[in-house]
Amino acid sequence: MKFIPNKAKQKNKQGEHRKTSSFKELIKISLPYKNKFLLAIACVILINTSVLLKPIIVKLVIDDFLVGKKAQSGFYSITAMGIAYLLVSLTVSLLSYTQANLVNSAGQKIIKNLRRRVFSTIQFLPLSYLDKTSSGRLITRATNDISEISDMYTDIVINLFKDIVLLVGIVYTMLSINVQLSLISFTVIPFMALLVVFIKNKIRENFFTLKHIIGKINGSMAENISGMKVIQIFRAEKEKEQEFKELNHDYYKSTIIQIRLNSILRPASDVFQNIAIAILIWFGMGKISDHSLQIGVLYAFTTYVKQFFNPISDLSEKYNSIQSALVSTERIFNLLKQKDITEDVETGLPLQKIEKDIEFKNVWFSYNDKDWVLKDVSFKVSRGQSAAFVGETGAGKTTIISLITGFYKIQKGEILIDGININDIKLKDLRKNISVVLQDVFLFSGDIKSNITLGDPIDDKTISEAIKNSCFDTVISDFQKGIDESVMERGSTFSAGQRQLLSFARAIAHDPDIFILDEATANIDTHTENLIQQALENTTKNRITLVIAHRLSTIKNCDKIVVMRYGEIVEMGNHQELLDREGYYANLVRDSSCFDKVS
Amino acid sequence: MKYRILKDFIIKNKAIYLIGFFFILLASFVQTLFPKVLGNIIDILGKENFSKTAVYTRIGYLLLIAAATFIFTFIWRNLIIGAARKLECTLRETLYSHLQILSQDFFSKRKTGDLIAYGINDVLAIRMAFGPATAMSVNGIVICASSIYLMLTSINFKLTLMTLAPIPIVIFCMLFIGRQIQFRFHRVQELFGEISDRVQENINGIRVIKAYVQEEPEIKKFNTLCDNMMDANIDMVKTSSKLTPIIEACFSVSFVLNLILGGRMVLNGTISLGDFIAFNTYVTMIMAPIVSIGRIVNNIQRGLVSLQRLQEILNTPPDIVDQENAIKERIDGNIEFKNLTFYYPGMKKPALEGINLKIENGKTIGIVGKTGSGKTTLANLLLKLYNTGSGQLFLDNQDINDYSIDAVRNSFSFVPQDTFLFSTSIKENIASFKNIYTDDEIEEATKFSSIYESITGFTDGFDTILGERGVNLSGGQKQRISIARAIIRNPSVLILDDSLSAVDTITEKNILDSFKQQRRGKTTLIISHRVSAVSGSDEIIVLHGGKIKESGTHEELINKEGLYYEIYTEQSKAEE
Repeated sequence: MKFIPNKAKQKNKQGEHRKTSSFKELIKISLPYKNKFLLAIACVILINTSVLLKPIIVKLVIDDFLVGKKAQSGFYSITAMGIAYLLVSLTVSLLSYTQANLVNSAGQKIIKNLRRRVFSTIQFLPLSYLDKTSSGRLITRATNDISEISDMYTDIVINLFKDIVLLVGIVYTMLSINVQLSLISFTVIPFMALLVVFIKNKIRENFFTLKHIIGKINGSMAENISGMKVIQIFRAEKEKEQEFKELNHDYYKSTIIQIRLNSILRPASDVFQNIAIAILIWFGMGKISDHSLQIGVLYAFTTYVKQFFNPISDLSEKYNSIQSALVSTERIFNLLKQKDITEDVETGLPLQKIEKDIEFKNVWFSYNDKDWVLKDVSFKVSRGQSAAFVGETGAGKTTIISLITGFYKIQKGEILIDGININDIKLKDLRKNISVVLQDVFLFSGDIKSNITLGDPIDDKTISEAIKNSCFDTVISDFQKGIDESVMERGSTFSAGQRQLLSFARAIAHDPDIFILDEATANIDTHTENLIQQALENTTKNRITLVIAHRLSTIKNCDKIVVMRYGEIVEMGNHQELLDREGYYANLVRDSSCFDKVS
Repeated sequence: MKYRILKDFIIKNKAIYLIGFFFILLASFVQTLFPKVLGNIIDILGKENFSKTAVYTRIGYLLLIAAATFIFTFIWRNLIIGAARKLECTLRETLYSHLQILSQDFFSKRKTGDLIAYGINDVLAIRMAFGPATAMSVNGIVICASSIYLMLTSINFKLTLMTLAPIPIVIFCMLFIGRQIQFRFHRVQELFGEISDRVQENINGIRVIKAYVQEEPEIKKFNTLCDNMMDANIDMVKTSSKLTPIIEACFSVSFVLNLILGGRMVLNGTISLGDFIAFNTYVTMIMAPIVSIGRIVNNIQRGLVSLQRLQEILNTPPDIVDQENAIKERIDGNIEFKNLTFYYPGMKKPALEGINLKIENGKTIGIVGKTGSGKTTLANLLLKLYNTGSGQLFLDNQDINDYSIDAVRNSFSFVPQDTFLFSTSIKENIASFKNIYTDDEIEEATKFSSIYESITGFTDGFDTILGERGVNLSGGQKQRISIARAIIRNPSVLILDDSLSAVDTITEKNILDSFKQQRRGKTTLIISHRVSAVSGSDEIIVLHGGKIKESGTHEELINKEGLYYEIYTEQSKAEE
């Protein structure tokens, strides 16, 4: 029990510490633009002077000329003061325009650089990091979190300063005009501030609840719309509607609290101002009758008290926005810190072509440094050969492929490509020479052509050959625009089989030395697969081909079949050799539990 | 008809609106009395030996005005803004209920994200327009009208006109610049959308990007977007930051005019000092509503656009509706297609053509064919997900169009190709959210689909939550839960649409065997592209290009050496 408060305190302290460090980071990225910010701050001070000047001018006019009936001459006249004020306020208008644009352009530049940094860091994050991080989170970093900071620059930073300067200015001006009246006015202000801060906090708490529920409503709509077919077929409409209504009602209840709170806060400013003015008049009345206070001063004070409300209200709001911006900053800089572990694709030995072979020598690998996924794996595949990896799910087949593409580093042993250790090869060159076709094909929005070239300069002839060799031409002939047919987000208009063929074409067009098929034919019907088999025979002739498949038909023609179990190689040889051996492979083929029986 | 839903809501809640608007009027009017009282006090204070009681009374007035403003504002905000929230929730519920009766064709043409946007963003925009924006405009109009009226009548006509001369300029600038801002704001929003899309696509496809070493080009593309975003933002602020200084400058002109002209009038006795001060306060008072005109107009415009969008959805009629006197009884399981031809809406090629097929109650029918041959379409028609032309599809010798949706769907059960499970408990998924099944029945269904052991293996058993927040099942496990969900309804007709593709071969055989037992005497349709899944059926239909190419038992079709035989040999050759 005793430790809990301590712990909480510590946690709090850590939080504070992290906030200061986020704050420091923000200052750091803003420093290059310090001149702009300083200039903007100077503008703010001048702008506030004009706001404070207005009541003083009115006071002067009332007390000296309207009540005091002093003679007007030259600059000492209502007209001159009016014109002077007009000039000041026109200048201020220009200044506030300048100020807003100064801060904004600096802020936008900072944001642009930050956004670029976040994006390029994400590009080079190693897969070991990406595996652990949800893509949603990364997307939030580069979009919402950045926006949060952007808002802080354009909206909060400068206004925050404006509010503080204004508050200080009002207090200072009031005190310098009349100390006693100032103190009287200040009695109202703490109450005003307390109420505003209190209600705003409540509103904020409620706002989080609201946000949470709206998120749920969003999720519920998303799920129900995607599953509408199931809802309709299974006649679950009533039940689902009830569920949705309940959620919606929770939302309504929270909004009512929000309305209550706002209904108090909004008119509160009027009430406080009126009370303050009433107190001022009540107190000033006696002083005016014995001529120790001028009416103009009293009026100026009523104006200042009114001016007090807005900055206080703003500040309490801004405090919260700054808090959330700091959280976003922390998240972003945590991501940017991953720079140390990002992949360096540029350094290392250049590798123009993979001429000879790829070899695993006693390779041990684990994703988490605990459980070995590969145990002492050794094999060699030479150019012109094809190798298939066979085994149950989790045997380590896909891991081998991830290692060849340099996505992970092994713990023990060596992977040699043309006799060079894979860790010494320039990653960029390594990956350029490898093409992988996965079961789960990812298509980018754009058109078919851009999905095949992926931005690489590949000539039309190569493209059309690749399309032919991958049998993708049978699909393309169905499209009106041929290879210029547009591809929607994630290739949603293509069937799984079509996507897979496109991915084949993509791989072939890149003319790789190592060609890897990872369950690549799973969604293609038998007929098309036969076509592809023939095409593959041509395209794989002068390459190293590695295959993972559940279909016997894909595997049995390979030069070498590597049979894996629990991360180890149990058998190796060609189809016939392995069958003759009557071992694990022969068993697998016979009861075919790891092969699709027909397809 | 156009905005019926809105009209209905307002009529239903007319009392709230009437009282609410009455209090807006009161609150706004009371507020405008304040400068008058303040001026009055100043005038009293200006006199030598003024009466303190007179001042006390006026102070009382000020406090009364404060209290009244507070109470009236509190009341109208609760009523009017509260009603807007209620409107928001009502619209959302209406939308959702309407979505539930719309047909599959509607959903196939729209993105889920867009439909959600109706329920969140559009509904919010409508609330903003018919809640705060309407209330604020009424409030603003009353304050301005009543202030100007008081200025004109009880202070000075000429001074009012002169002082308010810059106001039209303010309004003009606001509307003019406001439009420019809106235009630029759209551009910023668009770019933000583009950036989000880019980032999303990039991160989802990062493995491909890495494998093909596309990081640099991706960064280059993204950087261009960032540049555009920055330019658009700077451009927008360049315009939007003009607005406040211009408005403030105009009001400064008003202020100075009042100062000079009003001051003169005080000196020559046309108006009193109190009038001068009251006047000054009025000018500040009308500034707030005038400055917010732009925002209010914008809000109302957006709300109207959203209302129109929403109304479009709500006006979309469902394609499939029950006829009058539709048959409500369950069907037994006799199905007959009579020369059925079906086109998906907007398609030129029929998905099914000249289908003649009679399925007697209790038979198991296999349907094979390649992707796109029309297998799933058959199921869609039987489930009344699309309309069938009359006289083409009969259930128990009665046209399917004569049955109610309920009757058809309650008699059928379906295991779809792509399994969809809800992110709630396994139990709720199997029971389709209904509490009409006993725990025993649910367990029985899962035993049947060979998933019982997996479920009891979870810590929470049948209460295990699925999906993102809970357990992620493998494809095969999901399919088996989907089968349990279909089987628990004990349907007259069970349709399996390639439903065993993710299940390993041994389990597939187990499930098919138990189907044979449990479905004895009941109609079962097995759709598959694998011969093995249908070879045991009483009759096999081979679909090709939307037509029935062959039909018969496995042996008959093999002996025929036609398309089925071709598929069979191709598949068994692959097996060897």
